[in-house]
Parts: sequence; structure tokens; C-alpha cells
Amino acid sequence: MLHDQQPLATDQQPPAPNLSLMTARLYDPLLKVYRNYTARVFLQAIITIWVVMTLTFVLVRLMPGNPVDVLVEQILTAEGISYQEAYDRIAASFNIDKDATPLDQYLQWLGDLLRLDLGTSITSPGTKVIDEIARFLPWTVFAVGTGLLISFVLGIFAGMPMAYYRGSKLDHILSFFSSFSTGVPNYIWGLLIIIGPGISWRWFDIGALRGTYDVGLTPGVNAEFILSALEHAALPVFTYIIAILGTWMLSMKSSTTGVLNEDYVNVAEARGLKERTVISSYVGRNAALPLFTQLTISIGFVLSSGVVVEEIFVYWGIGHLLFQSITVRDYTTLQGVVLLLTAVIVFSNLFADLTYGLLDPRVRVSGEK
Amino acid sequence: MAGSPMLKLLVSLPLDLLRGLYRFVHRLSTNKPGFVGFLGLLLYFFVTFIMPDFVEFDNEPKLDQIAGPIGSRIQLAVHRDNPQWDSLEALAGKTVGVVDQTGGPSFIEPWRDTLAIEKYRWTSRRQGPGIPAALTDLANKEIDGLLIFSKTVNQVIVEQEDAELRQLFQDNVIISNSTLGPPHLLGTDTQGRDIASHMVHGGQILILTALIGGVIATMIALFFGSLSALAGGFIDKFFTALANLFLAIPQFILLVVLAGIIRFDSTLYLGVIIGLLIWPALLRAIRAQVLSLRERDFVEAARSLGLSMNHIIFREILPNMSSYVLINLIFSITIAMYFQIGLVVLGLAPISDYTWGVMIYFGRSRGTLYNPDGASMALSPVLAIALFQVCLVLFARAVEEVFDPRLRSAG
Amino acid sequence: MSAMSPETILRVDELSIVYRTDRGDVRATNDISFDLKRGEAMALIGESGSGKTTISLALIRKLPKNAVVTSGQILYQHDSNVQDVLGLSRRQLRSFRWNDCAMVFQGAQNAFNPVLKIRKQFEDTARAHGWADKTAIRKRALSLLELVRLDPERVYDSFPHELSGGMKQRTLLALGVLLSPQVVILDEPTTALDILTQRAIIDVLNDMQRKLQFSIIFISHDLSLAAEMADTVATVYAGEIVEIGGVDEIFYRSLHPYTYGLLTSVPTLEHAQDVLQSIPGSPPNLIAPPSGCKFHPRCSFASDQCQVDSPPLQLDIGSHLAACWHKDRLLASRKEDA
Ligand SMILES: Nc1ncnc2c1ncn2[C@@H]1O[C@H](COP(=O)(O)OP(=O)(O)O)[C@@H](O)[C@H]1O
Ligand SMILES: [Mg+2]
Repeated sequence: MLHDQQPLATDQQPPAPNLSLMTARLYDPLLKVYRNYTARVFLQAIITIWVVMTLTFVLVRLMPGNPVDVLVEQILTAEGISYQEAYDRIAASFNIDKDATPLDQYLQWLGDLLRLDLGTSITSPGTKVIDEIARFLPWTVFAVGTGLLISFVLGIFAGMPMAYYRGSKLDHILSFFSSFSTGVPNYIWGLLIIIGPGISWRWFDIGALRGTYDVGLTPGVNAEFILSALEHAALPVFTYIIAILGTWMLSMKSSTTGVLNEDYVNVAEARGLKERTVISSYVGRNAALPLFTQLTISIGFVLSSGVVVEEIFVYWGIGHLLFQSITVRDYTTLQGVVLLLTAVIVFSNLFADLTYGLLDPRVRVSGEK
Repeated sequence: MAGSPMLKLLVSLPLDLLRGLYRFVHRLSTNKPGFVGFLGLLLYFFVTFIMPDFVEFDNEPKLDQIAGPIGSRIQLAVHRDNPQWDSLEALAGKTVGVVDQTGGPSFIEPWRDTLAIEKYRWTSRRQGPGIPAALTDLANKEIDGLLIFSKTVNQVIVEQEDAELRQLFQDNVIISNSTLGPPHLLGTDTQGRDIASHMVHGGQILILTALIGGVIATMIALFFGSLSALAGGFIDKFFTALANLFLAIPQFILLVVLAGIIRFDSTLYLGVIIGLLIWPALLRAIRAQVLSLRERDFVEAARSLGLSMNHIIFREILPNMSSYVLINLIFSITIAMYFQIGLVVLGLAPISDYTWGVMIYFGRSRGTLYNPDGASMALSPVLAIALFQVCLVLFARAVEEVFDPRLRSAG
Repeated sequence: MSAMSPETILRVDELSIVYRTDRGDVRATNDISFDLKRGEAMALIGESGSGKTTISLALIRKLPKNAVVTSGQILYQHDSNVQDVLGLSRRQLRSFRWNDCAMVFQGAQNAFNPVLKIRKQFEDTARAHGWADKTAIRKRALSLLELVRLDPERVYDSFPHELSGGMKQRTLLALGVLLSPQVVILDEPTTALDILTQRAIIDVLNDMQRKLQFSIIFISHDLSLAAEMADTVATVYAGEIVEIGGVDEIFYRSLHPYTYGLLTSVPTLEHAQDVLQSIPGSPPNLIAPPSGCKFHPRCSFASDQCQVDSPPLQLDIGSHLAACWHKDRLLASRKEDA
């Protein structure tokens, strides 16, 4: 993303021709470009979200098996009232304006959205979608976030020796592992964990680990609850770690290989720096730079690919909510979840674009590498 | 003669292809993991595309191999004067007792109308009469037969202190064949069907679907990516923006939602949809590659020689992209595989074809996944998919290392 | 060789280095010997690919992984204490580097870590050699930056990308002498810089050497630059020193046709690499070098003897040595020209 978009930003106001002469005088216009760039990325993000929102609005309305009709049928047969009466009652309880055209509905929906109102659930009337999301999302964020971070750190530490000892046995073994890690889908890892350690070897009781914490505990800051939550998250987290680790290892390996060929590493060694310093501040720091962008960008992917993993471990995160809302055709909830996931992806990309400058001084000022 | 160049081509083309293939394999063999991956893929091809012609799909529920939760040996208990019962159909209209830890197995459902089922529990701790009661009922002819699902029934009953129970068992129970292992290499599923035969037949459609998805995505990406890079200007901006937009949508989620809307009547159709979903990342990769090739010396040289754009694209750029495209194709196949099996495991994709994915789905929904003895039904497809993906990745990496001119010139 | 005089700071003794490659062994350095005196500036000159960088990398033991020192010794003498550089332990080596012998690499444009400020990189260097006082480091660094004619305060707090090529090169020079090394190796320090900057760097170098009194090994393919810097000049061809002597001897009485060729070729500004228009042919393949005198295929004085026998490096007058069978012919022809 970074590279695609930055030239756009500089089209309008070319950066100063000679950076070596950069002084306070030149600093101002550059800052403007940078600001301009920020505005531009923001606008793009908003447009993207809007397009996706509209798309889901349309898609969701194409879903067969309108839940209102299903419920109307039920009341009709149960209470023997007229269709109109039954429909009115359901519509009232669902807060549906039956005379509205799809366009009106769309506009109203947009308006509600601007007030952060995602509507109420269709199948369990009275439940606000935003509340549902707020109930399920934290668990996903917790599990996915932990998995991503741990795998990222592990990947960085495993990828560097792979580059340092390229072609060695260690490299071959780790490369082979990384092929497994990346090739095998995360839910397949999950199934393997269930079948192997879970069921066959009985290291833990899969059944007891369903849900996000032990039933009967009250959520809050108490040791019992936190421990239980950690226990329940352990398997999904482990699955995420093992499924993403290989990607980080390989990225770090190739990035480190590149950096090791850089003159400044050679010079650092010739300067008699301690090996530790060279590895951490010269090689590691530079090699990890591109991975931070990747990290923020991968958040969205991992979030959405977590649906199957959550379903397999019966971990009640946002994926579970999504899956439920699809099976019962609760399209307001469905819309809300898709919108939210998109927003997360878009904003993590945005975050990646805007924060890269904090990590790499070369883009800090000019907004361009 | 007009035919002669044609003839020449007919002769030389296969020869060239063979020679090319030989060279390809030869060079690949320098990369051990990649070669292993390549051989693995050949094996998969053999098993899923050639073997189905020789191995029959076992679709017949068999009494003598039925296992409730699979792996637990089913015991058919009948009276000694009833030896003719050798298929499930023969049980129709009779009263059959089922003794099982986990409750009634699903296979009995088709006969529910005609088959009266008494349920017994293996352990009497839970509700329902236990094994002794079942044996007594059988002896008293209150039920016509008894199905016992357990691996250990012989052992447990024969070791019983209770001499009467042992006697009842020995007098009334004929234990039907329930072996695992040969002739059922991978055991049998919940309906007594041979898992190995399902494995042979269950891969073809998945692999085809993934191929379709991967090829469609790669073609879209290749065409529009190159167009974008070569044309530049508005076209470039448009496709880049489009790709970025699509990238911002959680694609797997979109597929899940689509699956709720569209009935995928066939798995192959699913492949097309997946292909239409996963092209954006690919497009960006290919666009970047074409852009960098365009700057290379040999393309510059061709351009300065005044060679036509067609020549440059088809003679200079595309040949240099072939390995890169192949790598991207392979990776998009793995993604397509990920998407479709994910859908199947969630139960949102068609289960009309009995694929590895569907096996996993049933393994989960019928609970065999949670039975240590029943692992085979889910584990076999899980491993098959895992190894297939690994072979693809190993192969792609090898192609990357051995053939990619970019890496070679850098290294 | 004779015992080391106390003036000698660095002695290279019959050093041979090969690079192991798929295509065979590249013999990049063959039996090279020379002495570097305290405060002396020695220039190594030769076409690119002749093995100059290899020699200098060997001096700080920073050769690429596929390089093997097949024979020879490198001795470093400091405070009448002689160290065998090739035999240094890891720790000794770390302290030898930069503290005793600093090297400014060829193409120093990327010599600085792009994510660290110049200040940090000075501090890292000082601290690695047991110098912890930040203000002292700063003081020393600023005075050195001033010596290389930079705006010290500003450069010290800059990121590398904020400096121009010439500024980086000068900063690197300052960093090179931060720990007052006895020997500074400069591998083509001015290549890739424009002519004005080249001048400035040379001035700065001369200035620094006068003030700080270190020895210099100056590597270049450009004789005219070497002339301004060096006391001694060694000509390197195909991994061998073919001529070595005082700067005047080399310039006014060169004894090797290769040195003479370098002298008479006119460097062009844009194409610093094709300096050697006046020497026909190209440098030899170091995997399978020519027999006899390695220069004979390109030499206008070559005879049958040159094709068979390799000429030894022989003393001529004073400290001037050359490896050529036909020194007299060269001298004679030069007289004719004049
Ligand atoms: N890492 C290496 N592997 C193989 N050959 C090398 C390597 N580095 C340099 N060489 C070869 O060694 C010879 C001398 O190189 P170098 O010392 O860099 O020459 P110079 O500095 O004079 O240009 C050249 O022929 C070069 O190709
Ligand atoms: Mg060099």
C-alpha cells in the first residue's frame, strides 16, 4: 500500500530537490505534503468502508428465507389471526417500516450508522447489534491479538538465525517447518490439535474448553475468571500462532538476508561493535521494519479467517456471532459484523500507513522513501 | 506440402514438451524439499485422478462393519436361531436394542419407521437399563436383536464376575466381524463404509475446484495486472484502486455471506466464485512484477530497437514471468483450497459430493472427531488436505528458488 | 623477512588469499608483502578487480565467508608489542578493529544505519571500545566533525538520509578516527563523488593526517589522487604487487609497464572505471591466470621469457622494487619519448 500511494501524495507538491539542504525553511511544505497525504488516506479509508457497507446492505437483502416471513407463518398458525394482523405485530416488534422502499431503508440505515446505531437483532428482538458485537468481539480481539503478537515475536527470533545460517541444517529444518505452518490451513491445525492432544492423548478436555470461560463465573477482574479465560483461549491462540508463525519466519529470513548484505552491517562489524549490538540495533531493527507493516495489514486477514477456528473450538468470538447470524438469517447482525470487520481491516491498513514513519526515519519527514 | 510443417510441429511439440519437462524435473531435483513436494503432488494426482477408476466408492452401509462412534466395534447380538441376519435391511420391522455410550447412532435413522429401537446404555450410571438388562431382553425375545457399540464388550463381559451375565452373553450373542485394518486400510466410517475408498474418491473435486479458483484468479490478475502496468495512466489507477478496495473486504467473510445467499449447486461453481474473490492481492503482485520487468535492460533494449509492443509483451516480458506466474498460481490454489474447505467445514458449502471436506464435516457433526477410536474418519481427510497444501508450498518455494530469474540474478 | 623495525606498524608477509566459488578458486591475492611505517601514507593502485579490496579486508579480517587465507602473516606492532592479526581471538579482534585499525569501506554511501542518528552511531562505536562518557564522546565527535569541515552540531543530530553523499563520506572519516586508530584504511573513498567533493575529501584527509598522525592505506584506481596523498605507492595487478616505491620514484621513474600505463591513461570524469584506455585488453581471469608474468598478454614489451617465467619483485634503487624482466626497455623507451 505504502508504495502505491505515496507517489500520489508527492505528485502535487514535489519534495525538495536536495534533502541535504533541508532546513527549517523547507520543512513546512514537506509537512504539508505529509498532512495532505494523511487526509488522502483517511478519505480513501472512508470511501472503502462506505462501498463495502453498501455492498453488504444489498447482498444481505438478497438472502433467501426472510426471518419476518418465517415468524409471521408461526403466529398465523399458532393464533389463527389474519396475515395482516400477524405481519403488523411482527413488524412492530422488529421496528420495521413496512412502507419504506429499499432506497428509503438504505438511507435510513446510513443515517443510523452515522449515529453508530447498527440496529437491533432480527431473531432476538430487543438486542442491539452493537451490544452483541461488543459482547463477542473482545474475545476475538484477545485471541487473535495474542496469537499474532506471539507468532510475530517468535517469527522474528526464528527468522534471523535462518538468515544468519543460510543453507545450514537449522535453516533447512526451520524452512521445512515454515512450509507446514503456512501451507496447512489454520482450522486444519485446529482439527489436528483436537484429534491428537485433545482426544487421542487426552492432554486436556476439549469439551470443558468450549466457550470463552467456565460457566458460572462472573466476568471481572478476579484470578479465577482470568485464568479460566486464558485457559479457554489457549487452543485458538496456539492454533493462530502455529498457523501464522511460518509466514513471519520466512519474511524475517528474507528481510534479514537483505539487510545482512547491506554495507552498514559490514561497517558496524568493522567498527568492532559487540555482536549483540550489531544483531539487535543494526540487523534486527532494520530487518523487522517491513514486518511491522505486514503485521498491521495481516490483522484483518487473521480476524476473518478466525471464523472457522472459533467454530471448531466453539470459542465464542465474533466469528461465532457471524456464523450464528448466517444460520438464523439475522441480517442486521450480519451486516453489523461484516461492517465492523471491514472497518478493522481498513483502519489497520491506515494505521500501518500512518505509523510507518514513526519506525523508519526515512519516511518520517518526506512521506516518501 | 501444406501438411508438412504441421506434421513437424506435431512431432516436435511433444518432444519439446518432454524435453522441457525433463529439464524442469532435473533442475527441480537440486532442491530436495521441492522435489519431495513435486513427487507428493504426482502421488496426489495418481490417487485422486487415476485410482478412482479402479477403486469403487463404498456407499453401502454394512451391518457387519457398522460402528456407532467409529472404531468402536459393533457387536450384533442375535439369537442363535437367527443366523440369516446379515444386512441392515433384514432388521426392518424388528425390534432392535442398541447399546451405546453416546446414544443412538445416526445410521439407523433411515429405518426409523420400520425399526423399533430400544435404547440401552452401556453404563447404567446414566438413565436407561444397562447391558445386563439388554441381554436379558434378548434372551427373553423381547427384542429381536441387539447392537452393541464398544471396542471392549467381549472383554468386559467375559471378565465379569457375574456368571449369569457371562452365560447370557455366550448363549445369545454372535459377534459379527468388525475388524479395523485390512481389508479396510483406514477403517470404516459411521455407516460401516470403507474410508480408504472415500479418500480415493474425495480429493478429485476439491483439487479441481481449487485449480479452477486458482486459475481464474491468476488469469484475471495476469491479464489486468499486466494491462495495468503496461498501459499506466487512468487504467492503472483504476485497477489498482479496485484491487485495494477488494483487499479491504474480508474476503473469506464475504464468501461466507455469499454462501448464505447463493446455493452453490456444485462444488466447481464454488471454485469460480472463489476465483472471482481472491484475485486482488495477485493482481498487485503481478503488476509490480511487470513494472519491474519493464525497467529491465533487455526490455529497454527491445524497445530501443523499435520492436512492437506485442513482441515485447509476448517475447520479452511473459516468458520471464512464467515462473513467477506459476508460483502465484500455486499460492492461489492453496488459498482456494483454504476457502472452500473452510466453507465445507462450516457446513455452508454443498455436501452433495462426498469430498474430504465433507468427511471432516460429518466427522464433526457425527461426533467421531471426539472419539479416540474414531479418529480415522476425520483424521484421514485432515492429513490429506494438510499434506496436499504442504506439497504445494514446498513445490512453489522450490520453483521460486530454482527458477525465478529475479532471485537467481540476485543470488 | 628481516626483523621489524620499531617504525613499522603493519607488516604484510607473503599473504595469499583465494575465494572459493562454484567455478573454481579465485586467486585474489598472491604472495603479497609490504611494510607500513608509522605516519606513512601508502597508496594501493590498480584496476578494479585487481584485488585491492581483498588485501584491505584481510587487514581487519573482514573477508567474505568464501575467502580463505592460504598463506602468509599480518603483523601489527604497537607500543613495541607485536600482534599476529590473523591469530587474534574474537575479543582481541573486536578491540583491534577500529581502535587500532579503522576502515572506510568502498562505496560508503550506505555505511550508516539508516534508522539511527549519527550521534547514536558514534556513541555505539565508542561504547563498544569501553568509552562510556557521553559528553566526552560528544566533544570528541564534534571536534572531529569540525575537522572534516562539517557543521558539527547539525550533522551529529541528523539521520544518515539527511546528509548528502559527500557529507556522509566526511562523517565516516570523522567516525573512522574517533578512537585515534594507528592505521586508517580508505578503500576508494572518493569514487562516486563529484570532482569538487573529491578535492574536499582529499584536503580533509591530508589535514587530518597531519593533525592526528595516523598511517594510511589509500586504495584507488586513480593515480593522480594517490599522488596527492601518498608517500609510498604500490601497484597491484592480478592479485600481486608488481611495483612498489616512493611516490616520486613511481611517478618519474616507473619500472613496470603496467604502472606506466596507469600513469599515461587519462581518467575521465564520468567514467572513472575505464581509466585505462591506454592499456589494451582487460584484467586477467583470476581463476586461471596467464602463465609467467600475468601482465604479458597486455604488455607491449613482452618477450618469450615473460610468457614462461614470472618475474620476481626486485630491488632497483633505494626502496624501489618492481617485478619486470624488461625494466631497461621501458626506461629506454621513455627516454626516446622525451
Ligand atoms: N566474495 C567473492 N567471491 C568470489 N570472488 C570474489 C569475491 N570478492 C571479490 N572477488 C574477486 O576477487 C578479485 C579481486 O576483487 P577485489 O579485491 O574486490 O578487487 P578491487 O578492490 O581491486 O576492485 C576480483 O576478480 C573479484 O571478482
Ligand atoms: Mg575494490
